[in-house]
Amino acid sequence: MRINVQVLLLFSVFVVATCGLIYELVAGTLASYLLGDSVTQFSTIIGVYLFSMGIGSYLSKFFNRNLIAWFIQIEVLVALIGGFSSTLLFLLFDRVESFRLVLYMLVSLTGILVGLEIPLIMRILEGRFEFKDLVSKVFTFDYIGALLASIIFPLLLMPQLGILRTSFFFGLLNAAVALVLCFYFKSELRWPAYMKATCAGVIAALTFGFVASERILAFTESLTYPDKVVYATSSPYQRIVLTRNSHDFRLFLNGNLQFSSADEYRYHEALVHPGLNAIPNPKKVLVLGGGDGLAVREVLRYPEVEQVTLVDLDPEMTHIFSSHASLVKLNAESLLSPKVNVINADAFQWLRNNQEKFDFVVIDFPDPANYSIGKLYSNIFYRLLHASLTSQGMAVIQATSPFVAPKSYWCIINTLQAEGFAALPYHAHVPSFGDWGFVLVSPQATMALNDDYPEDLRFLNGDVFRQMQIFPKDMPPRQTEINKLNNQALVHYFEEEWAQYLN
Amino acid sequence: MAEQKGRRQFLLKSALAVAGFPILGRYLTACSPSRPKPIAGKLQGPSFKAGHLLRKGISVIPEEIEAVDVVIVGGGVSGLSANRWLHQNSSAKVVLLELEDQPGGNAVAGRNKYTAYPWGAHYLTLPNNDLPELLQFLEEEAVITGYNEQKLPVYNEYYLCFDPEERLFINGYWQQGLVPNWGVPEAELKETARFFKLIEEYRQAKGADGKFAFAIPLAASSADETYRQLDKLSMKEWLHQEKFSSPHLLWYLNYCCLDDYGSRLEDTSAWAGIHYFASRRAKAANTDSDRVLTWPEGNFWLVNRLRQAAENNIRTNALTYRVHLAQDKVLVDYLDVTTNKHRRLVAKQCILATSHFVNERLLQGMQEQRNPVKQSHFSYSTWLVANLTLKEVPSGRGTPLCWDNVIYGSCSLGYVYANQQQVQLYPAKKTITFYYPLTGEHEAQVRAEAYRKEKEAWQEMVLTELEKAHPAIRKEVETLDVWVWGHGMIRPTVGFIWGEEKRKAEAPVQDKVFFAHTDLSGISVFEEAFYQGLKAAKQIINTSHEA
Repeated sequence: MRINVQVLLLFSVFVVATCGLIYELVAGTLASYLLGDSVTQFSTIIGVYLFSMGIGSYLSKFFNRNLIAWFIQIEVLVALIGGFSSTLLFLLFDRVESFRLVLYMLVSLTGILVGLEIPLIMRILEGRFEFKDLVSKVFTFDYIGALLASIIFPLLLMPQLGILRTSFFFGLLNAAVALVLCFYFKSELRWPAYMKATCAGVIAALTFGFVASERILAFTESLTYPDKVVYATSSPYQRIVLTRNSHDFRLFLNGNLQFSSADEYRYHEALVHPGLNAIPNPKKVLVLGGGDGLAVREVLRYPEVEQVTLVDLDPEMTHIFSSHASLVKLNAESLLSPKVNVINADAFQWLRNNQEKFDFVVIDFPDPANYSIGKLYSNIFYRLLHASLTSQGMAVIQATSPFVAPKSYWCIINTLQAEGFAALPYHAHVPSFGDWGFVLVSPQATMALNDDYPEDLRFLNGDVFRQMQIFPKDMPPRQTEINKLNNQALVHYFEEEWAQYLN
Repeated sequence: MAEQKGRRQFLLKSALAVAGFPILGRYLTACSPSRPKPIAGKLQGPSFKAGHLLRKGISVIPEEIEAVDVVIVGGGVSGLSANRWLHQNSSAKVVLLELEDQPGGNAVAGRNKYTAYPWGAHYLTLPNNDLPELLQFLEEEAVITGYNEQKLPVYNEYYLCFDPEERLFINGYWQQGLVPNWGVPEAELKETARFFKLIEEYRQAKGADGKFAFAIPLAASSADETYRQLDKLSMKEWLHQEKFSSPHLLWYLNYCCLDDYGSRLEDTSAWAGIHYFASRRAKAANTDSDRVLTWPEGNFWLVNRLRQAAENNIRTNALTYRVHLAQDKVLVDYLDVTTNKHRRLVAKQCILATSHFVNERLLQGMQEQRNPVKQSHFSYSTWLVANLTLKEVPSGRGTPLCWDNVIYGSCSLGYVYANQQQVQLYPAKKTITFYYPLTGEHEAQVRAEAYRKEKEAWQEMVLTELEKAHPAIRKEVETLDVWVWGHGMIRPTVGFIWGEEKRKAEAPVQDKVFFAHTDLSGISVFEEAFYQGLKAAKQIINTSHEA
């Protein structure tokens, strides 16, 4: 019997040590994922964790009676906090103001509890070993546990279980040890039934977490982003996430990059100026999509433009781009200009009901990655566009990458031509996107361009635009189907081409 | 020893405890969604009350009498088509009597805050190009916007079913298209290909009289016995005879028969079963031939266009209870349900655009003038249609939400997405229309049971079927309305289409009473109803000239 107690308690040391290190590794990994800069994150997490263990060891002297009962209760607490730590961090990440505070609180709490355990167990075993054996055995198991944890965490646990399940799994181990101890020492415990029930409750909660972790993960897309997320919100239409690193910030809609502040000027100059610059005395401009106000910023460089109508589906988008300080700075307060009228509406429906004529229309929709958005690239939509242009007017359409998705790109152009537009295809290099395509269209057969661009542009001038109209040998025009509501040819091309590119 | 026992007990207890957790866990998850709360919704159907009144019999002889040229009884697609045709091609004073508060027959529709949705017929397959009157109608209503150089119709792309059109839930996956292929064995796929090859031959086949073997309207089909004899055996027997045994193919063909006719393979005539596939030869300028025209409200859109063509002739809430001949006039007696007044129309001629089982009651006073028709030969399918307003249609693996969404192995026909034809990207709520033809050995019994069933039982049945593909759909449901069609539509049972009884039933009575209804085609589709109406209207115009 005596041997068994010793083995059991030493085994507990082993489990406690393994679990303790795992929680530390989980916290370090998560912090690197979510906050970036892994050296800093790991250093500070390990530091805080070890220091907290020291606090725990210190506090252990205040525990004088019922050591087994305390040990079991602490074990259960470690199981609960450690097991749920990663999930909690994920869920809180984009919902609380000071995420770091929560992170270090959790790390310290786990550290203190784990720090309490080793001294307590040594005192429980005090009478059963000689002191030198006790110290040697406990620390041997402690360090073996640490070695095991550090090896299996990167090699086995992260790839097989993933970060959430790893925490739950080790929480379960902690709780299982507690439960076994409850049974073993029931005669020495004052409320064995209560303690067993607590263990069982925690095990049930952790099991549930383990099983549901995938669904939990679906809530927390934070892992998807390489950089620090500085703003995240969900509208009824999309998930809007803004990330920042040392040299730029980036906007993601449903996980797709919309722009990087480092090179968006290339995209937006290329989108707006070749067309708008060619129209003599443009008065009314319509921007469809582009709730970020960056295209509007470019439009407002032309003082003769009297009125800009921006139609974007998502009020959340236009709201953050007219209120968030760094975003308002980026779009030069364009959405706050008195010339700009922001309308939050479905572009197709809006255009179908529109009676007004515009001199220039900028179409900056997301890529046609699904059947809903595919409608906005259909022949019928372009028919409505045609009807909304003045006779000397022009429109420009962002048209995905002609290099990655040539059929998609030329399908958009062929569809526009089928609706009676003259089309001028061109493309620009935008480093964060790659080679990006646009098409300028006019209801007239010929387009007179203007070489004289506004002076303060950073990217575009007449020579550059001439160059942009050249398609190299590996990007020739393609024959495609016309994109219609009843065939959604474009969505099919787009899916096929991007799937190939990404695999 | 005592210690040993203690340990054994401990081991046993821990084993039980460990074993208990998963069970406890399952118990907890199973119980977590508390008892289902009642789902909002209504149970509806064609006017039961008026129907009962008719069955009980009304013997009042009206005192209010009004003289007209033509009376049309019934405002379904046949009656409305006849009314439109007479309005456009004659100067006759016409009155159309409709029992319900709006015309439409089995192509009626409902509406919620977000969209219109169908309660019955909900699409028109691209019509064949040899149907000039139908194409003319579609052109008038801008469904056809013009013709190209090859004289092929250009269809309005707002009305052509938006892509993606169809998907099938099979082996846990939504595959594209309805013909099963996801996880279907190679041999069965080959058999499916052989079936469609055979159908292609039938599609092009012509009889000795030079007519297509399978045409629309089906009255235009060849009289050649080679083909017509297919009406004498069931689809099931024919498939067996042709050595088709793939379970996936047979399920699909059974689905098709249920979809178009509300009858199973064993109840459907092989001629009708093949007609479903082999009669379609449409060509269009701007789309493939096997596509459909559809609207959020289904064929009620077409109904409204037909109605507007001669709206003033239509009297709704008018329960016709007797049609008889007196001298050279047709007397049509009806009850104005809103004012509860009995009225008589004295007409030169009359079109009964009503179901055959209704005609039998209306014409009871005309036994001598007509050949007796055996009513038992007319078989009708009973349908349950449900409309669900959902917060979201749960997604699944594979093809995203389509217009037509079918679940393999289900007896239901799956559901149609009413918002499909909206250009709006993200509708606030999504409405789906679920179709379920009720089948069984005894038609009358199936119908009686359907009439008895409570709303809650229907709702439960609908959700249980949908859960086969969408386990989490319950929590998305905001309203679930159901509609029971007792006599949903005629069934092309074996021997019916080219049989004697149907021929007798469509024979006009003394050039006074004409018949127009898909009961007299044997299949209930828009084109047949349209041509039934036109045929009767043309008969009226021809005979009134002679008179």
